[in-house]
Amino acid sequence: MKRKQIAITLGIMCFILAIGIAVQIKTTGHNNSTVAQSLTDDSLRDEVLRWKERYDNAYAELTESEKELTQIRQQASQNDTTSTAKQEQIKANNMLLGTVEVEGPGLQITLEDNAMAAVGLLDPSLVLVHYDDILQVINALNNAGAEAISVNGQRIITTTAITCEGNVIKVNGEKVSSPFVIKAIGSQGALYGALTMPGGYLDILEDYGVIVKTEQVDNLVVEKYNGIISYKYVKNAE
Amino acid sequence: MIFIAIVIGCILGAIIGIYAPLVPYTYSGYLAIAIIAALDSVFGGLASTVKKQFDLKVFVSGFFGNAILSMLLTYLGQKLNVDIYLAAIIVFVGRMFNNLAIIRRYYLEKWTNRKKEVANTEKTAQ
Repeated sequence: MKRKQIAITLGIMCFILAIGIAVQIKTTGHNNSTVAQSLTDDSLRDEVLRWKERYDNAYAELTESEKELTQIRQQASQNDTTSTAKQEQIKANNMLLGTVEVEGPGLQITLEDNAMAAVGLLDPSLVLVHYDDILQVINALNNAGAEAISVNGQRIITTTAITCEGNVIKVNGEKVSSPFVIKAIGSQGALYGALTMPGGYLDILEDYGVIVKTEQVDNLVVEKYNGIISYKYVKNAE
Repeated sequence: MIFIAIVIGCILGAIIGIYAPLVPYTYSGYLAIAIIAALDSVFGGLASTVKKQFDLKVFVSGFFGNAILSMLLTYLGQKLNVDIYLAAIIVFVGRMFNNLAIIRRYYLEKWTNRKKEVANTEKTAQ
């Protein structure tokens, strides 16, 4: 009698349990599990980080070898005047191309999305920094005689494109985001005057509500271009 | 007999569960923790049957009480932003292994005893 009772109760409990398990399996199978989704997200993020690390390592190696190369070049051209001249030319060309870090007096402009003003504004896009704002600023800087420009560490070279992709801005194909630090080497007075004059582009941006900061720096370091410059169609016509 | 009852219960439950309506996804977490609690209770019941200490009141109250308490804890954890249900799962699963060990020992002993008996009878027969 006792055993029968136990058997019946355990049977009923297992019955309830099996219903629960079946329903749960159906529910989790039916929906896209948020847990699984975040798991795949995490693994993807991990992979991205791993690749980034590998890229960084390779890049460090490249920088190391470049340094070695310059050293070897210097040693080779030490006792040869024509070589030394060539060496100087290479240096100057690299500086023009943007493949070396350069420093000099210049202007540092910081453009920042005005998040506080965006709250409750009818058109919050007015107080955000757009890609064409950056283009305009760079154009104005070039017009004022800037010799080297970078945006958030991305050097502006001859092939640089500044694009708007949805809600991100890309410079040299790399994502940049607010605050945008634009560094320009050139005549401090000319750069500052050209950009902050009444009716100048920074003045217009400030009127819209974008946070604009300008700073004249004596030893401004403009980062080098960290991609590869390659030409496929251009040939020497001479 | 107990095992036959369990198997019949599981099969019937699974059949009904397949045709039962879906639980909203928000509550499936609660159902999951209740399932773990119930599973723990069933193993506890089996272990106590094996130890011949089975008490119907203890078993039924544990079955529902544990499930409800663990669901409440999960709810509280969600409100406090702490995964309290993890603690419940650790306790329940830990107990499940304990109970499983008790059941396993019981049947292992039974088996070895029977083997010995068979050997003894064979010896005496020779």
